[in-house]
Amino acid sequence: MKKDFRVQYPLWQMAFIVLLGLILFSVDGATTEFIHNEDELRFGTQFPPLESVLLYGSIFLTFLLITIFSLKLSKHNKQHPDQKLSMWQIRPIEYLEQDEGMTYITRRASQKVYTFFVWALPFMAVIYILFEVPRFWMIFGILFLAWMQYLIYYVEVRRQLKEEDE
Amino acid sequence: MLHNRVKELRARFGFSQGQLGERVGVTRQTIGFIEKGDFSPSITLALKLAREFEMKVDELFWLEGEKTS
Repeated sequence: MKKDFRVQYPLWQMAFIVLLGLILFSVDGATTEFIHNEDELRFGTQFPPLESVLLYGSIFLTFLLITIFSLKLSKHNKQHPDQKLSMWQIRPIEYLEQDEGMTYITRRASQKVYTFFVWALPFMAVIYILFEVPRFWMIFGILFLAWMQYLIYYVEVRRQLKEEDE
Repeated sequence: MLHNRVKELRARFGFSQGQLGERVGVTRQTIGFIEKGDFSPSITLALKLAREFEMKVDELFWLEGEKTS
């Protein structure tokens, strides 16, 4: 059960969020040049060496992860033809709803995530209102909340399944 | 809190959690949650379990302090 794709799905999302954060960091470090005069109209972006490596490395890793993710998803769908999942479905993939016990675990984990957001969102909003937070850090904060959401969900589901195994 | 005899009866009938789960249409984990008392099953599942153990629901499940048998 712990190796079920739906149980591990939050880890995938966490990895994608980290990669998105690295892409964000790289793009933030870029310098842009906009020249508009009688002779020319030019727009250019330059990345320092570290940011350049991070950007291309992160994009490469993102595509690699998407490929592996797709393969895992199709493997899951082959093994569970009655519980097929799609990358584009509206209901979160991580929901375990095979039966009422699994729905109970999902509810417990979702409640923890909801509690986290009830406190984290107003707190972050206050920080953003009180301080002049650069755009990079604002987006980074949102990514951090998203990352935490999946961490809380994953830890709770794992804890429930582990307790049951003992 | 809801108490039950699922674990005891499952052992008596010689079922594993997985086998019992299969018979009543739930996962092994759900049977485990019920046995631990963490989770109160639906009436439907309670009836199915009682049917498997050939007894009434209130002989299988009871509220704290209300066990009569």
